[in-house]
Formats: sequence, C-alpha cells, structure tokens
Amino acid sequence: MIEYDEIDNRMVLKLVYYGPALSGKTTNLLKLHDLLSKEGRGDLMVLDTTNDRTIFFDLIPFFLVAPSGLKIKLKVYTVPGQVKHDATRKAVLQRADGVAFIADSQLSEFSNNAASFENLEKNLSYVGLEIEAIPLVIQYNKRDLTHIIPEEDIRRIWDPTGIHVFTASALHGNGVVESYKALLERTYAYVDKKYGLFNMHGLDRDSFVSKLTMLQDNKVV
Amino acid sequence: MNMDNKDNKETIDFIVGSERKIEEILRDDEVKPLLTDTISAGASLAMVTDNEGVVLWSSGKDSASSYVVKNPLTLEGENIGHLIIKGDKQVEEISRITYNALSLFLQTNLKRMLTTEVHLLVLEQSNQELLETNKQLSASENKYRELSEHLEEKVKERTAELNQAHARLLQQEKMASIGQLAAGIAHEINNPMGFVMSNLNTLKTYMARSKELLQQCLSAADRGMVLPEFGKSFREKWKQLKMDMILSDADDLIHESLDGAERVKRIVSNLRGISHIDEDVVGKVDINEELDMILNLLSHEIPSGAKFIKKFNPLPPFICNPGLISQCFLNIILNALQSRSEGLEVVIETTCEDNQIIILIKDNGPGIPDEVINRIFEPFFTTKEVGQGTGLGLTMAYDIIVSHGGTIDVEGKNGATFKVKLPIRI
Repeated sequence: MIEYDEIDNRMVLKLVYYGPALSGKTTNLLKLHDLLSKEGRGDLMVLDTTNDRTIFFDLIPFFLVAPSGLKIKLKVYTVPGQVKHDATRKAVLQRADGVAFIADSQLSEFSNNAASFENLEKNLSYVGLEIEAIPLVIQYNKRDLTHIIPEEDIRRIWDPTGIHVFTASALHGNGVVESYKALLERTYAYVDKKYGLFNMHGLDRDSFVSKLTMLQDNKVV
Repeated sequence: MNMDNKDNKETIDFIVGSERKIEEILRDDEVKPLLTDTISAGASLAMVTDNEGVVLWSSGKDSASSYVVKNPLTLEGENIGHLIIKGDKQVEEISRITYNALSLFLQTNLKRMLTTEVHLLVLEQSNQELLETNKQLSASENKYRELSEHLEEKVKERTAELNQAHARLLQQEKMASIGQLAAGIAHEINNPMGFVMSNLNTLKTYMARSKELLQQCLSAADRGMVLPEFGKSFREKWKQLKMDMILSDADDLIHESLDGAERVKRIVSNLRGISHIDEDVVGKVDINEELDMILNLLSHEIPSGAKFIKKFNPLPPFICNPGLISQCFLNIILNALQSRSEGLEVVIETTCEDNQIIILIKDNGPGIPDEVINRIFEPFFTTKEVGQGTGLGLTMAYDIIVSHGGTIDVEGKNGATFKVKLPIRI
C-alpha cells in the first residue's frame, strides 16, 4: 500500500512485475496498455531504457471508484531484471501489494528464473514483506518459442506450492490479462482483509477485478 | 567510523510511487515565464490552479473577457489541476501552445523526479552496502593484524613444542634401551635361577633322606642297640653339633630359599613380560591380563592398607605394541599409587562398547587442581619434588594411547580418574 488517505477517501495500491532479465515484464505492461480500456487507466510511462532494457521501471496506473466513493489508484510497475540493478528492484518493491513473477519459459533460462525468484524472496524480506503472505502469481512467458520447459514440468514444480501459475505469450497478448486478473483477485483479498473493501466500501471482488480489466471495445483475448 | 547514521543523518525516505501534487512537480521559474509570455502573446489572464480550484500561479489581470479556455492538467492519468486562460478569441491558439508546454514540463519533470529518486535510493543503498563491506573489511583486517602480531608468539610456542617432542623422543630411546637392558639381565638371571631352584629341590629331597637316616641312628643309640661306647659318644656328638636344631632349621632354610628363588623367578618373569622382549612389536593382547601383570609387578610398591578394586569385563584381543601398552598403564597406575599414602583405593574398570575398549582408572587421592589439569600430559611437568618424578610418565602414557588411535581423558574432581579409550582395529 503506497497510500491510504481516509480524509481524501483515496487509496493507492502497488503491483510489481518481477522476474529475470528479458523475460517480458515490460511487454506484459505494454499489452495491458493495448488491451485494456482507456477509461480505467492512464498512459504507460516508460522511464529511460538502454537498448530496450529497463533500467529504472515502467509504470501504468489504473483507476477505480468504489460504491462508497473510495478512489482507488492501482500502480503497476516493472522492475529492471538485470542482476546489476538489484538496488532499484528493492526500491520498487517497497510497499508492494502484489507481485507477478514473469519467468522465461526457455530451457536455457531455467537457472536465471530460479536465481531471480530467490532474489525476489530475499528482496521482499529486505523491504519487510513475506513471500508467503503477499499476493503472488507466476507467469511462464514466451510459450510461443521452441525449446521451452514443458507445462507438466512447470506444474510439477509449482503445484505443490499452491502458487497460481499461468502460461503466456506476452508478445501476442496471450495469457497477459489472465495473469493480471488472477493477481488482482489475490490482491483484492489481501487488501479487503485489512481495509474492508467490501464491508466499508461496498466493493466486491468481481467488480474490483472486472472494472480494472475492462477490455477495449475492439479487442478480443 | 560511526556506523549508526540514524541519529546524525537526514534520511531520504522516498517510496517509489508516492503521490505528488502539481506544485511539487512544477517550479516557479518554469511556470511564471510561461504565463508571462502567454500574456505578452495577447491573453489577459493566465493561471494554473490545483484540483480544488486554488490558484497556484497567475499572470495578467482578470477582466470580463469573452473567452475562457480551461484545460485539465493530468499526471499519471489523473486530473491534478487546470490551466485557465482568458482573453479574446485568439487565446484559443495561445492557450494550446501554453498547455502543451506546461504538459511537457509536467511529464518530463515527473520522470526526472522519479529517476532521481530511484537514483538516490540506489545510491543510499550502495552507500550502506559499501559501509557494511568496509566494516567487514576492517574487521578482517583486525583479525589478520592480530594474527600477525601473535605469529611470533605462535612460532615460539611451536618451537618449544618441537623441542619438547625431541626431548621426548630422546627419552623414549633411553627408556627403550633401559627396557632392553632389563630384559637382557632378566634373561641372564633366569638361567642360573633355573638350576638354583632345581638344585634346591634336589637338596630338599637329599636332606629329608639324610634326616631319616640320622634319626634312625639316633633312635638305635638311644635304645641301646649299638655298642654302649658308640651310643654314648654318638649322643654327645649329636648334642655338641646341635643336630636337633640343625635338622629342624635345615627344612626352614631350604623352604625359605625356595620361596626366595620363586620370588626372584616371578619378578624376572614379569620384567620380561613388561619389556616383551620375547614378543613381536605388534601383537594381540588381553588388556585385562596385561593389567593383572602390572599389578603383580607393582605389589611391592603398593602401600600397606591400599585396596585395589578390579572390575574387569571380558575384552576382545587388542592389537597393539604390547610393551608400550603395558608401559602406559603402568605409568597411569603408578601415578594413582602415589596419590595418597594411607587409605588408598584404586578402582580399575574395563569395558568394551561400540568397538572401543574403555579402561577407567580411578583413585581416591586429592584429585588434580584445575590450574594444572591441562598440563599433566606435558613433558617434564610434575607436581612432585625435584628428583621424585621425571614428569614423563603421563606424557608417555598419552603418546602411547594416541599412537594407538585412542584418547585419554582426565577428570580431577573427587580423586583423579583417567579414562582411556582404545579403538578396536581389525
């Protein structure tokens, strides 16, 4: 939670797209920007990049007003995936309300995924968050490529943990909104428990998720 | 270096993503010239308000102008204020230019602020990490400095240890030659002792026969079965030569001599046993038998009234250098014997468990004070007066146990307890 102002009746939430370098975090945000209705969101802000590699972060804001009048702003961030930008990752991760871990499906990236997930665990605890508690979904991106980890292997690895795993091909838009929706569902539960989104503000989970994921008229996923 | 920078340093506490107001993003020197220029270009009033309509910056004068252009200013997709320009019809064009310029300021300033913040956060973190690294480095530097300072001391210690080991070797050599000498002498004594004992036994038989014959003569003389002159002179001669006393003493003499010879034989045999001259350097021994032999050998050293309690359990044969092993236990038991002159009680217990032979030797002496317990195995360390002990007994015991892959522990409370553990090698 970035901010909760009861006088202004305003809440600012933060979601973070985490993962190894070049796994497609920014592409996920780009696709959300392309696919979702302009009405509920702001523009994608891309802070400086070098050769298409994120060095600070990307940001796309979403908006929603609860029946009580509570204005909710949801900021979705990416972190730089490259190992050397660890301090930036820590900074962006502060006060996150949910994390989407974007893994690279390519077999060659297996150990990078693992290292990045370990890094996520470490940095979450660095900023005082627990990986067991924070809303988390995993997306295995780049399913359109060859030489990728088979889905049954992914299931075998992650199913015992209870973490929701999606497969996606962000470049083509597949799985992007689904992963985002699942993360929103978990984030709703997480925030509702603390701030009574339903009891105090009359906002139920389905309208929270559907308002934040309204598709543009001409888009079909 | 003061690592605690919480108290004396202003901490920069940004949260990436925290919300900002329009006046935090736009600066006077950016907005004011822009608004002035707008007036110069023909507008009568130009102002920037926040979301609540509060005027933040303005230029020109309010007039009853026919034209008002009000454009929303947005940031991260949200409305954060307005640009309001009044004037005549041409202000529409002017306001468009001003609005674009202002929006551009907003977007670029926000990006600049965000990147600067992240930069500062990153720098602060790197700084903290560097400070931490520096702390660790100086800690390890201290460690190495300490190490190098003590190096000389360590070298001295090691040299002393080496010298002591050398002395120990010399001593061992000496002990070994003494042992061989003793064994050689024992062997030499054994042969003459053999015929001394055999002769004494023969002499005993001869003596018995002579006695029988003499007794017969005496009784014949007494009963008048011989010539009276001979009988009388025989009686007198008997008395003169104190034959009664001689005949009764002769038995005692032979008996005592045989006893003495037996003892000499036993001592010699034990001496041979202790030096194991007849055995190979490595052999199988029963530690219980070995301990028994040592106790026999020491019988003359055991103070009167001392009690030995043996709690021997059956042990598997132990492969070792028998001479060294018995030397080792001899030294430990000697140490126990010297712990107390009266009322001494020594418990010797042997057990076998977990493939180890465990020998416990416990005395009820004064025990070992804490300040010397760590030193008792040191060569030449002794609590006895000069000339009383060599300070080598326990050192040898220790070396022997260690050379057999075993351990020796000592407990100094309630008397001294030595616990020797020997691994059974197959």
